[in-house]
Formats: sequence, C-alpha cells, structure tokens
Amino acid sequence: MPSGALITFALNISSAFVALLTSYYAYRSNRLVRSPALGAINVGFMLLGVGLAVDAGTSLVSGRLLVELPAERAFILLSSLTYLTLQLLAYLVIAVSYTRAAYGRPGAAAPAALAGVAALGLYRFSLLSYFVTVILLAFIVFQGMLVRSEGRGRFSRTVLLGFGLILFAHLVLLLAVLVMGPTLFLAGTAVQFFGFVSLLAFVVRSEVVVPG
Amino acid sequence: MSQGEKQRSVLRISLDILNAVREEGDAKPTHILYKANLSHERLVRYLDDLTGKGLIEVKLEGDNRTYSITSRGVSFLIEMRKAETFVQGFGLAI
Repeated sequence: MPSGALITFALNISSAFVALLTSYYAYRSNRLVRSPALGAINVGFMLLGVGLAVDAGTSLVSGRLLVELPAERAFILLSSLTYLTLQLLAYLVIAVSYTRAAYGRPGAAAPAALAGVAALGLYRFSLLSYFVTVILLAFIVFQGMLVRSEGRGRFSRTVLLGFGLILFAHLVLLLAVLVMGPTLFLAGTAVQFFGFVSLLAFVVRSEVVVPG
Repeated sequence: MSQGEKQRSVLRISLDILNAVREEGDAKPTHILYKANLSHERLVRYLDDLTGKGLIEVKLEGDNRTYSITSRGVSFLIEMRKAETFVQGFGLAI
C-alpha cells in the first residue's frame, strides 16, 4: 500500500476522532445550556466525524490516494460521495446555526450560496462539494470574526484558527481535485488535520477550567 | 422573549445565585439578593428551586437563615463553567 494512502488514512481518522470529540462536548454542554446553535454544532461535527471516518476507510480500502488513479477516478469519486455529502451537510448545519446566532433568524446566506453554485451547473459533484464547502467555511470564519469584532461573544482564537486552517485546507483540496495533484491532496489533508488539532487544543483547554 | 432566551435567563440567574452563595460561604438572603440583583419574591423562588435540586442547603439558627452550596452544587458550577467556556469559544452565549 502506498505510504501516501496510509498517511491520508492516519490524518483523516485522527481528524474524525477530534470532530466526534468536539461533537460529544457540544452535546454534553447542550444538555446544560440548551442552545439550538450548540445543538447544530453537535450535529455538524458528528456528521463531519462520520464523513471523515468514511473517507479514511475509503483511502485504506482502496489503498490509493484519490488523485493517483486517473483511470479509476470516477469510481473513487463515487466512493467518496458519502464523505463529501456528509461534509457538505455538516458545514451547512454549522453555517446556518451561526447565521441564527448572529442575526437571530434562520440562515439565508448559506442556502443562497448553495443555490448560486448549483445554478452554475458546471461542476461535477466533487468539485461542487469542495467549492460549496469552501464557501460555507469562509462564511463560518467570517461569522466568527464578526462575532469577535462586535464583542457579542468570545469566539475563541483557537477555534477561529481551527476553522481558518480547515478553510485553507479545503482551498488546497479544491485545487488538488482541479489539477489532480497528489502532493496537493496530501498537503490539504495535512492542513485540515492541523485545523482539527487546533480544535482539539480548545476542547482540552475548556475541560480544565474551574469556577471563577 | 423566546423560550430559549427564557431558559438561558433562568440558567444565568441560577448561576449568579450559586456563585454568590459559593463566594459568601454561609450566605444571608440579603447578600444573595444584592449580588444576584433580584426582587425578594423571585429570589425566594430561585432559592427554593436550587434547594430542591440539592445544589444549595439552608441552615436555620434562630431567626437567621443562611444558605451554603452543596458538593453537588460545586460540581454543577464546575460543569457549567466548562460548558460556558465551550459555548463562548464557539462565539455563542448562555
């Protein structure tokens, strides 16, 4: 099995673990706080964790990187369909929850972005998925910066850095799919992993607080 | 005010009372009243609720009534503090 596939598996399964851990902490906090936005973060990260685990499994079973097999690209893209769909749903749920939290009404920008991209009708599902995911992540990062700048909350820098890295990773992954570059694909997966490491640092830190 | 906002508000007030009781040790109702910024009627309702949940306990010495936090109350405050840090980290508020 190529080492690239093994590295991809290791990075994605680690990211999946962090996503599921974040989902669990959101669930646990939501049992006390009962916030719809927190519920959305719980569901979003759960979908993301399952999606990343599926993607990790796909790379392990196929034993190849997505972009190393141009002839079988269609098959591998199809096997990645579940991951891409779950990822898309996850970021959509999180983005909509931030719209609700920021403006107190159901999200309009994220579905509008989806509709806009769908109207183009030019991309295959994988490209479309990565592209929309990039838009959703940019929206989440923008909301985070907005919340921080307006002082309505204390959006953690670590969480913002995590989402920022995941956004950058998806830009690299989108480019990797466009140019079919294995190195870029691996680099994007690695950057995404570091984004989840940043989220893990926040989750761990939030566990060591004591009543002030 | 939505149901969610009402719930958050109740939670916030309960936390303020618990923090006030914890800081004071044996806290007199007037001190809690001042720190939690509540009317007497509402304070009594919240204190009864928190006592019923086992988060605080009441001590009676003659005419004096004081409140102290229970170990369950301290655990609840710690869990709430963790939840609050998590929630705020994602840019949300309780």
